[in-house]
Amino acid sequence: MEGIPLHLRYAVPEKGYEKFWEGLTRNEIWGTRCSKCGTLYYPPQRDCSLCNTSDLEWVKLSNRGKLMTYTLVKAKPQGYENQEDYVIGIVRTDEGVDLMCWIRGNPRVNSTVKLVTDGKRVVGEILDV
Amino acid sequence: MRRRVGVIGVGMSKFGKRDDVSVRELSWEAIREAFQDAGITQRDVDLVVAGSTAYRGVELYPAPPVSEYSSLTGKSPIRVEAACATGSAAAFTAINSIASGMVDLVLAVGFDKMTEVDTQTSLAIGGRGGNYEWEFHMYGTTFPAYYALYATRHMAVYGTTEEDMALASVKAHKYASMNEKAHLRNRVTVEDVLKSRVISWPIKLLDSSPISDGAAAVVFASEEKIRELKIDTPVWIEGMGYGSDTSSIARRGEWTSLRAARDAANMAYAQSRRSPRDVEYATVHDCFTIAEIMAYEDLGFAERGRGAILLREGQTERGGKVAVNLFGGLKAKGHPLGATGLSMIYEVTKQLREEAGPVQQQFKNYVALTHNVGGTGHYAYVSILSR
Ligand SMILES: [Zn+2]
Repeated sequence: MEGIPLHLRYAVPEKGYEKFWEGLTRNEIWGTRCSKCGTLYYPPQRDCSLCNTSDLEWVKLSNRGKLMTYTLVKAKPQGYENQEDYVIGIVRTDEGVDLMCWIRGNPRVNSTVKLVTDGKRVVGEILDV
Repeated sequence: MRRRVGVIGVGMSKFGKRDDVSVRELSWEAIREAFQDAGITQRDVDLVVAGSTAYRGVELYPAPPVSEYSSLTGKSPIRVEAACATGSAAAFTAINSIASGMVDLVLAVGFDKMTEVDTQTSLAIGGRGGNYEWEFHMYGTTFPAYYALYATRHMAVYGTTEEDMALASVKAHKYASMNEKAHLRNRVTVEDVLKSRVISWPIKLLDSSPISDGAAAVVFASEEKIRELKIDTPVWIEGMGYGSDTSSIARRGEWTSLRAARDAANMAYAQSRRSPRDVEYATVHDCFTIAEIMAYEDLGFAERGRGAILLREGQTERGGKVAVNLFGGLKAKGHPLGATGLSMIYEVTKQLREEAGPVQQQFKNYVALTHNVGGTGHYAYVSILSR
């Protein structure tokens, strides 16, 4: 028999992270830094759980980095089924932050990458020829 | 551990696409076998620990229906979850409940009916197995994509090849063909694996474990209870270590090894005063073929970066230095998340008791290991068992 479908709709809070989401519309990648212990958080956190403070400042990350690894996604999940095949990568920025992004161009591990945004996410453009 | 704990009964359902049963009959299939194997009934059970991820089945809170069907109502106050290591989390809870002195006989039962939803929904559930907001939402991650990030890096840093990974699949299918309870019983060649559909490069369909339904059950007891019941072939838990890692894969700092698995292994070796060299049989978490290669390294069977050599040399085949996954592994035996960890204990128990038929490994010291990873290295459990 056919089971009754379960439709889940989610409302996800953005409070406190507006700066990050806005940054994605103008090629800016923002993390947060604890003003007490200096820990740099990416993804950003509102709280430093190491020293129990909410005194963190926004820090703009470098737009250059190195590709650590990547994969070309062919079998796509619900929500991405209408996308062209995409490449997910992990890039280490100049200041040593590792972040996930989509990759444009011909990826190789250790390629130099320029980080931009497409309004919804961080995108790494391969600079090597 | 405070009190010695042993395995006295094991059961496992047939794995596969089980549209002939609900999660209730499926679980009972495993529980019944474990009870018969231990020579006990429901009356002997002090506590039931259920393990199920449950996200892909109609029954979102499946422990009560399973307990009711199995006449275990009143003894099953808990369901545990640790993604793909859920079965081991159930074992961990059961073992510690006995070791602490609280109870003497515990049934751990793990089950999942994963084929009740369609594949795309299943991919979307798996893709949330990291961090929803910072990964899945923005980048459309999938479970194969996560492991592919490890595979790409392992290939670039250590020269591991797609052919090496294919060898793990060929081995898994070969042994699953001899296991009546396995999901995929066809044999495959390296060529078949390389030519199979790309899921998330470099991972292809035949590098991936199937989406399976299945259940496994293990009866654990204290040493005193084992004496009282006059069990003549107990398998002893010498140690069970654990580890965990960040939800965001980007924050791990390395993508060639699973820190959670290394931590779990080191803890288990220390508890049991054993070393990788002592292990004669192992089940490793080969959800994707790269995971088997990393497991060899994380468990210390091979040096970092040299895991593929064991496959090339056949060192993990039956009769090899350490036989691995002779029941077909997750890759071909199947991987019903909640059942997998307990089906590993089923497998090593059969091996240590020399009841493994055509895939029996020859033991000298009767030491075996299970390695069960949850998520993409978010959780890990390693246990060491002996006879
Ligand atoms: Zn701080």
